[in-house]
Amino acid sequence: MGEIQVEAENKKYEPKIAAFLCNWCSYAGADLAGVGRVQYPATIRTIRVPCSGRINPLYVLKAMANGADGVLVSGCHPGDCHYISGNYVARRKFALIKSLLNHVGLEEDRISFSWVSAAEGIRFAEVVKGVTERVSALGPNNGIFKVVDDGGAAADE
Amino acid sequence: MNNIINDIRDKARQLLAEGKVDVVIGYEKGSLPLKATPFFAHSPAEVDSLIWDETCENNLATYVAKTPGKKAIVAKGCDSRALAVLLQENQLVRDDLYIIGVSCTGVIDQRKIVAEVGEILEAGINDGKISVKGMAGDKEYLFAELKDATCQTCRYPNPVLEDVHLGETIAVSQEAPAFADVIALEEQSAGERQDYFKEQMSKCIRCYACRNACPLCYCQECFVDCNSPRWLTGGVNRAENLFFQAGRVLHLAGRCVDCGACTRACPQGVDIRALNRKMTKDVYTMYNHEAGISEDGKPALNEYTTNDPEQFLVKE
Amino acid sequence: MKISKEKFGQAFDALVADYKVIAPVSDGSGIAFTEVKSFSDVKQDYLNSKLPPKAFFFPQHEKLMSYKKEGKDVTVKSELKVENTILFGIRPCDAKGMLLLDKVFKNDQYTDPYYYERREKAVIIGLGCTKIAPTCFCSSFEISPAGSEGSDLFLIDLGDSYEVEVVTEKGKALADRLALAELTADEQALVDKIKSAETPSKIDVSNTTSKLDKMFNSPYWDTLQEKCLGCNVCSFSCPTCHCFDISEEVRKNEGTRVRTWDACMAPLFTLHGSGHNPRDNKKTRWRQRLMHKFNYFVHNNGSMSCVGCGRCIKSCPVNMDIRQVVDGANKAELVVE
Repeated sequence: MGEIQVEAENKKYEPKIAAFLCNWCSYAGADLAGVGRVQYPATIRTIRVPCSGRINPLYVLKAMANGADGVLVSGCHPGDCHYISGNYVARRKFALIKSLLNHVGLEEDRISFSWVSAAEGIRFAEVVKGVTERVSALGPNNGIFKVVDDGGAAADE
Repeated sequence: MNNIINDIRDKARQLLAEGKVDVVIGYEKGSLPLKATPFFAHSPAEVDSLIWDETCENNLATYVAKTPGKKAIVAKGCDSRALAVLLQENQLVRDDLYIIGVSCTGVIDQRKIVAEVGEILEAGINDGKISVKGMAGDKEYLFAELKDATCQTCRYPNPVLEDVHLGETIAVSQEAPAFADVIALEEQSAGERQDYFKEQMSKCIRCYACRNACPLCYCQECFVDCNSPRWLTGGVNRAENLFFQAGRVLHLAGRCVDCGACTRACPQGVDIRALNRKMTKDVYTMYNHEAGISEDGKPALNEYTTNDPEQFLVKE
Repeated sequence: MKISKEKFGQAFDALVADYKVIAPVSDGSGIAFTEVKSFSDVKQDYLNSKLPPKAFFFPQHEKLMSYKKEGKDVTVKSELKVENTILFGIRPCDAKGMLLLDKVFKNDQYTDPYYYERREKAVIIGLGCTKIAPTCFCSSFEISPAGSEGSDLFLIDLGDSYEVEVVTEKGKALADRLALAELTADEQALVDKIKSAETPSKIDVSNTTSKLDKMFNSPYWDTLQEKCLGCNVCSFSCPTCHCFDISEEVRKNEGTRVRTWDACMAPLFTLHGSGHNPRDNKKTRWRQRLMHKFNYFVHNNGSMSCVGCGRCIKSCPVNMDIRQVVDGANKAELVVE
């Protein structure tokens, strides 16, 4: 599942963040950050999706279950969707995902949502920095969705 | 009540005799005290088994799409709301469906009785009083004391969609929903809520009674059964159980009609409703939407406005 | 023989040092079998647990083995862990249920080590029923609510004391740690009375198996399935249901093989890789459930695989009552083929 080994203890803890980026804006924004040599923490694992409307709530849950320390979902600004209304529909879904997961006791900052356009390379870096800081402060995911890495057979305590 | 039962039987008899429907889906007396069971009347001779009272707790909308032919259904408020959502989502053909609407004062929460007087040996309902002979004692209850939690906050006891209404309608408060149960949980700390849901999820045995009892869980292939991608490992533990419940609840967000069928179906007493109610509250407060209150319209997540709230965004 | 509850409690607490002790505990929404450390935690006055105790021998989800590939080396590790266990407070229906599971997991063709190692190392202390729930119908299967069949040591609650019956050698080893006394004549009379009790609810299964032999194509199955939701409550709460699924949980170069309860009520149970499903509707699934319990199991193992515990009746969200289902099969008209 593309996990990196746990770092040696003297190294600074680096969280693993699954980043679902929309093809038309945020992914291009990340690309622009790269082209512009803008520095940001190497904590995200980018998964390109055609539109933020493609995000299935199960993607977020599965990322947490597989041990991601955080999830970042980013799409076009409302009004700028390549598919006209994909991110408008997604916006309602995101609000509810965030709300439900907080309700069951997941830390607020584990799951982040943002709108980043193709022109906002610098802002993309800012978002990743901010998300990384907040997830780092929470520490590793020992959360309520994390399945023990043994096929789920072990008792969960 | 007796008059309603006769009216339901007469209507069912008429519909079957005239060949307007092939089957009438209603309730009959179950094998245990205070328990009704879904009943499918296929001929006029069978309609005398039909009943209607405070024990008719199943949501019959669950059966409609799965039952072939033209069908009539005895629908209380929540059943009719589920039918409305199913119609909105093109899961039902309106012309194949005849809705016999009945107003519902609520259903009995058996667990409250069993917790106090043990297994129920005998019980009778008379004039809003329920007298129970239990293994650990006898007790007489007022119906209000036994009303299911869902029914206590019900805003749609009268069917929202019907072809005929039998019996009287019930006066409904016009006040906005209060969601006191959700707020009580929200006011707890994240840690307390986490503990609460951990405890609830550790009880789940993944029998999927909640999913199967739900009138709106109709996916051809549920994500828990999906092999590719494989969302769940099949492990029955707290984390995976929460994954299942949270995934299910998110699928139902903006569609759940708050009938409580999932919670009543649960053999383990898991508070599934606590999750659904949170979504219902959010959808109501953020999008001013209640699921299935008319045949027209769309589920909340199929719609949007350009100024939907965005508090969930990162600060950057 | 008898022992006072006080003395039994002391002996019980001493056993905790040598055994993993499982007993009925009240968990807020019913009775569950859980590991306990003291007799004071045990719920003694209970009808039956929400779920049967079969999970201690046949867990809902268990690792069978794990494997890892490093370079060309493959290591395979058995995951079987067995402890000396006492199951206290097992009702006669559940004790009989374990005897039926034994026929499945240890027979002349195959012995399942995971089940059997645990079973071998467990001692069952049965507890007779002095109260009978309306859903109980064990007497239909020649099980007595206070019968000791299937237990190693069997107790009957006499108020301040237990009547103790040593049933097997395993039970005797435990009984040697108890200070037993003789019953008085009055107590013996009470024991006899409790032992002679039957469940008020009984179904007639005398001809069910032979009737079912001729019913595979009966229209009865059409009427049966309409209200069934197709969930797994009945199977998961059944002390004799034993179907399971085996799957591989693989990640990169390592994985585990796990066994999980499955149920014939689930469409996925019979779904082939090709997409074909030989039991693709509730009608055929219900036929399978009833046939397996009251016909196939009889032909294969000489006994019905229902013990009348009533859990499926109590837990069914739509009140499908196996007693009515069997009764309906008994009365169903046979179709001449």
